[in-house]
Amino acid sequence: MLKKTRNVNLYIMLFIITLFQLVCLFTLLFKAEDEHRLNIFVSFALYILVEYLYFIGTRLILKRNGFEVELIAFLLTSVGLTITASVYPEATMKQFIAVVIGIMGFVALQWFMRELKPCIALRIPVAVIAVGLMAFAVVFAEYTNGARNWIYIGGISVQPSELVKVAFVFVGAASLEKLQSNKSLTKFIVFAFACVGALFLMHDFGTALIFFFTFVVISFMRSGDVRTILIVCTVALMGGLLILLFRPYVANRFAAYGHVWEYFDTSGYQQTRTMIYSASGGLFGVGIGNGHLREVFASTEDLVFGVVCEEFGMIMAGAILLSYVALLVYSIRHAKYARSTFYAISACGASALMLFQAALNVFGVNDLLPLTGVTLPFVSRGGSSIICCWMLLAFIKAVDRSTYRYGGVRQ
Amino acid sequence: MKSISRRALVLYSIILLFLAGCGLLFFNLISHSEEWAMNKANKHLYNSGSLATAGDILDVNGEILVTTKNGSRSYNDDKSIRIATLHTVGDSSGYIASGVQSAFKNEITGYSLKDGVYNLQRYGKGNDITLTLNAEICKVAYNALGNYKGTVGVMNYKTGELICIVSTPSFDVYNKPKDIHTDTSGKYEGIYMNRFFSGLYTPGSTFKIVTAACAVENIPDIYEKEFVCNGKIQVGEGYVICSATHGKINFEEALNKSCNCAFAKIAEEVGNEALTRTAERIGFNGLGFVINDKINCSNSKLDLSNAKLLDLGWAGIGQYTTLINPCQMLTAISSIANKGFAVSPYLVSQIQTPNGREILKGETIELGQYFTEMVADELNVLLRSNVKNRYGDNLFPGIEMCGKTGTAEISDNSEAKPNGLFVGYSQREDMPFAIIVIVENTNSSMSSAVPIASKVMKAIKNEYTQ
Repeated sequence: MLKKTRNVNLYIMLFIITLFQLVCLFTLLFKAEDEHRLNIFVSFALYILVEYLYFIGTRLILKRNGFEVELIAFLLTSVGLTITASVYPEATMKQFIAVVIGIMGFVALQWFMRELKPCIALRIPVAVIAVGLMAFAVVFAEYTNGARNWIYIGGISVQPSELVKVAFVFVGAASLEKLQSNKSLTKFIVFAFACVGALFLMHDFGTALIFFFTFVVISFMRSGDVRTILIVCTVALMGGLLILLFRPYVANRFAAYGHVWEYFDTSGYQQTRTMIYSASGGLFGVGIGNGHLREVFASTEDLVFGVVCEEFGMIMAGAILLSYVALLVYSIRHAKYARSTFYAISACGASALMLFQAALNVFGVNDLLPLTGVTLPFVSRGGSSIICCWMLLAFIKAVDRSTYRYGGVRQ
Repeated sequence: MKSISRRALVLYSIILLFLAGCGLLFFNLISHSEEWAMNKANKHLYNSGSLATAGDILDVNGEILVTTKNGSRSYNDDKSIRIATLHTVGDSSGYIASGVQSAFKNEITGYSLKDGVYNLQRYGKGNDITLTLNAEICKVAYNALGNYKGTVGVMNYKTGELICIVSTPSFDVYNKPKDIHTDTSGKYEGIYMNRFFSGLYTPGSTFKIVTAACAVENIPDIYEKEFVCNGKIQVGEGYVICSATHGKINFEEALNKSCNCAFAKIAEEVGNEALTRTAERIGFNGLGFVINDKINCSNSKLDLSNAKLLDLGWAGIGQYTTLINPCQMLTAISSIANKGFAVSPYLVSQIQTPNGREILKGETIELGQYFTEMVADELNVLLRSNVKNRYGDNLFPGIEMCGKTGTAEISDNSEAKPNGLFVGYSQREDMPFAIIVIVENTNSSMSSAVPIASKVMKAIKNEYTQ
C-alpha cells in the first residue's frame, strides 16, 4: 500500500515554495522602512539558504526521497516569518535564529532517534528534567498576560512548557514502548499529572489541555485501555469543574465564550476583531502589510490565523489548516510500517498534538472554542514555540522507515 | 504493530472532528462575511464609527452627493442639497438605515466575499452609485416644505424612477444638532426615518381616489347618480360629517368638492369586500416595496374585517384605521397616469466599479395592471377635473395637472392639527411625473400641500420641458 504512494516532486514543490517566499520577501521589502530592509533581507535570504541546504543535503548526501513533512513545515514557517517581519520588523532576525535552532533540533533529534535503545534509556532522565523544568517554571516564571510560563534568562525569554511538549511526547512513547502493562501506564499517568498540574499552577490552561489531549492519545495508542482512559478523563473533567467552582476567576476568563459580540470592546475584543478582519480579507487577502488586525494585541501570536485570513486570504488559511491534517494523516499511514511502536506512537502523538493546538488556536479566536491563548504551530511568532514545533516534526519524520534507509546511518 | 496501526485509525475520528470544525468556521465566515466586514469597528471602512472610505453617490445629472476626500466622507457643497438628500443618501454613522450609504453598504464599499475589501485597498474607493434622484428638485421640495414635518416624493410614472425624495425634519450632516438625542419637544421626531419609504399616514380624502375607482368598477350608473349633502349623513348607526353643505351633487362634483357625504354613501354601496378588493389590487395590505431589492418600505393598510357600516363610511373617505405609505400611494397614483399599468419605483440607476464595470443597472419593472385602461381613463378625467375646476390650473400653469387633496384628521383631540396631503401627476407626455406631498400638522391641504406641489411641479417643468 505504501509502495503505491508517490513522493511529491521535491524540485517542483521547492520551486513553488521559493516563489511564494520571494513574493513575500519583495512585498516586505517594498513596504518596510529603510532601517529594517537589510535585517529582513538577510533573515529571509539566510532562511531560504538554510532551506536549500537542508533539501539538497538530505537529497544528495542522505539520498532521501520523501520531503512532504519538511515542505509543509518550511512553507508554514515562512508564512509566520513573513508576518513577524511585517508586524515586528525589528524581531525578524530573532525569529529567524529561533527557526534555525528549531531546524537544528529537528535534524539532531532525527539523528538521535535513528536507534531505539538510547531513546528508551533516556526516558527517565528526560522525564526528570522535564518535571524539573516545569517545577522551576512554577516557582520562578513571571506572569505575562495572565499566564505564568515565561522564564527570563540573560535577556532571552523562554517558555519551558513548549520544550516540555517535546519531552512529553518522547517520554510518553518511550516509557510505553516495552511493557504493555498497566504499570507503565500508571507511571506515565503520574508524569502527565505532574506536567498538567504544573501548567494549572501557571494558569496556562490552554497548554494544560494540549498536554492532557496528547496524554490521552498516547496512552490510548499504547494500551488500547479505553476503560482506564475514560476514568482518567472523568477524573480530569471533575477536577476541571472543581477548579471552575472554587476559582471563579478561571471561569471569568472564558465568560465571553459563545457570545463574544456582546463583549465587543472588552473580553471579546480579540475574537470579534479577528472575525471582522478575516471577513475583510476575502479569498485572496488584502495583501501583506495592508491589514488592520495586526494592530490588535497578540496579532502575531494568538490571532495570527486572522492575520493570515485578512492579508493572505481564506484560501491560504484553509491550506494552513489542511497542513496539520496532512501531518497527522502522514503519521497514521506510516505508523503501520514503523520500525517500532515508539516511532508510531511518538509520530501520532506529535502530529495529534499540533492538530489539537491548531484547533484550540483557530477555533478559539473564532469563538467556536474558548480563547485559551495558545500559538498556531509554525506560524505564530515566538522562539520556544517554533523550536518545539520543528522538534516535534522529528517524530513525524522518524516514523517513515525511508528516513533511515539510506546514507549509511542505519540499514 | 497491528494493534497500534488499528488504534492509529481511531485518530481519523479526531481529523474528522477537526475538519468539521473547519467546515463550521468557514461556514460562519462566509455566511456572516458581510455582517462582520461591515462592522463599524472595521478600520478598512470606518473611522471612529463613521464610514470613511467608500464610493461616490451621484444624482441623475452626475452631481456628487457624497464622496471620499482625505479619508473621510465629503458631502455636497450646497447646504440645502445636503439637507434635502440626507435621508436618501444617508449619514456616515448609519443612523439612517434606509439611506443608500447604509442599505448599499456592500456595494458602496465594493465589498465582496471573493475580494473582501481589497478593492478599497486598490482603488482607494468603493463602487460609485448613481441615483435616479434630481438633487435640484429635492432642494426645491425641501425649501417648499419649510418648517413643516412631512415628505415629498416624485416618480416618473412611466419608468418608476424616483427623482425627488425629501423627508423632514432633516439636518445638515456637517452640523448635526447637538440636542438631537436629548430634545423632548418633539421637533426631531422621526428625524432618522425616511418618511417617504417608512412613513404611514392617514390618507384622508386622497383615499377617495380608491373609493372612486371602486365605484367606477362596481356601480355601472355611478355617473347618473345624485347625492345629497346636508353637511352630514347617516351611515349605519352614526353620522359622517362633511366639510361643507354641498346640496345635490353628481359623482364628478362630489370628487371635485371632496364631499364626504357622497363618498360615505358610495363606500356603503360598494361594500367592504369590493373596496378591500380594489385597495389590495393596488398594493394595500401587501408586503411593501423593497426599493432596488435593498430599501424596505412600510405598506399601506386597509382593514375592514371588523368594520361596521359607519366605519366603512369613514374608511371610504380615508379615515377609520386606513393608513397609506407615501411610496406605495405614489405608485398607485402613477398607475392611473400610466393607463392603469403600475411600475416599480426605483432609486439606484447604476452601480459602477472603480474600473468602470457596471455591476447593477436599475430598470423599469412592471408590477402589473392596477386598473383597466378604461377605469384609468375615467379616473384620469376625474382627477384632471379636480385641478381644473377646483384647485386651479393657475397653480400648475401649462402642466396639465391632475390630482386630489386630502386633509386627514389624525386624532380625536380637536387641538391636534390635521395632516395635509396632495397626490397628483402631470398629463404631459414630456413630463411624466407623479407627486405626493404630505405635510404634518397643518391647517388645510389647500394652504400647505398644494402650494408645495405647485412649486415642485413648476421646477420640474422648468427642468424637464423645453
